Amino acid sequence: MNRRIATPLSPDMNIFELIDSEPSVLSIFSRLAIRLPFGDMSIGDMCLRDGYSTELFLILCSMHADMGYRPAVSDLRADMLPEVIGYLRASHHYYASHMLPHASAHLEDILAHADSRSRKVLRRFYDDYTRYIVDHFQKEEEHIFMVINSATQRCDADFSIIDTPHTDIDDRTNDIASLVTKSLPETVPTALRCAMLKDIYALRDDLRRHSNIEMHLLKPLVEIYLTTKE
Amino acid sequence: MKRYNVAIVEPAALVAEGIASIIRDGEGDVVGIVGTTAELEALLRGAEVDVVIASASLHRDLEACVAIDDIPVVGILTSLMEDDVLRKFAATATIYTSGEELQRIVRRAVDLPAEHNYAESHELSERERDVLILVAKGFTNKEIASELNISPHTVISHRKNIVHKTGIRSVAGLTVYAVLNNLIDGEQL
Repeated sequence: MNRRIATPLSPDMNIFELIDSEPSVLSIFSRLAIRLPFGDMSIGDMCLRDGYSTELFLILCSMHADMGYRPAVSDLRADMLPEVIGYLRASHHYYASHMLPHASAHLEDILAHADSRSRKVLRRFYDDYTRYIVDHFQKEEEHIFMVINSATQRCDADFSIIDTPHTDIDDRTNDIASLVTKSLPETVPTALRCAMLKDIYALRDDLRRHSNIEMHLLKPLVEIYLTTKE
Repeated sequence: MKRYNVAIVEPAALVAEGIASIIRDGEGDVVGIVGTTAELEALLRGAEVDVVIASASLHRDLEACVAIDDIPVVGILTSLMEDDVLRKFAATATIYTSGEELQRIVRRAVDLPAEHNYAESHELSERERDVLILVAKGFTNKEIASELNISPHTVISHRKNIVHKTGIRSVAGLTVYAVLNNLIDGEQL
């Protein structure tokens, strides 16, 4: 069983200790394109080596480890915004190009054992779900992430576009899990259902962290950024 | 023995008054007498009720009554009912039951563990299946109310129960559920 890391984290903490305690932070490394191996490097040394803000890296790790963690606004700076947007963009790419197709492949394995009617409705449901998520990412990139591209003119980021979709996505993700668990015919082997469910629950948890970071890190950072531009 | 609070939902005023009189003569206090489940919902919001005594003819509307989720319901039968309807009540009596026997039945219902409460089943009721089918076909709450001759408020309550029982929240997900459970033909969509 994993030991949960205590927040707040410290720049002196050994990176292996961090990953060993909270493996979910590995996704931060890959999305920020931070290179392994680390040897016995500390978090501070690694951030210095790869040119990332140590404070921001610690905030991201804390938010991954603890969904209830909220960074203090006094710890946030406008210059953190490009790095956070880069991280969120990379997350979008990871969901769209890796996690969703991976779950889709498992769904196809399942559907091969289902009758044609079940196959048709479930495939359509999953395709609509995927399209909804990808469209939502695109809207976020167009309406929120673009603030850093408009260097000269005042522009507002529209956060109202993300509240409802985040809830909808969470609901639909749970619906897939419920349908696969409870309603698919007995002809579908348990092992295939479990493989799909592992993907779906991993996706759900990652999307919840992502949504949490958008609402409680990106949003205040954008507000700080726009204030400093005025 | 501790007295308990009773709410009575019974459209026939004479029957309701008779039940209330029997309860008051025993160990219960009647906190309200109403004729519909909508009135019962309002009553339960403002009063502490240990047991509901209801006309069994209201069984479909009772399914939609979220406020009685945690309260045992004693059904009063005026005609023969199917077993699956009877099972929903914590206990039943008929209009021929004696006063003393009704008091005993209600006392036992008050003392039952919570799992015997109404709407605890995770099986969809017949009415909930009707609502689900129409949701899956794309009907609005207003259209469903009109089609099934019930109030929009009752439709919303049925939908809450459907979400609670199936674990599925989105309309698209409920549609898939309805097809996978043979409630509708996928070709109709």
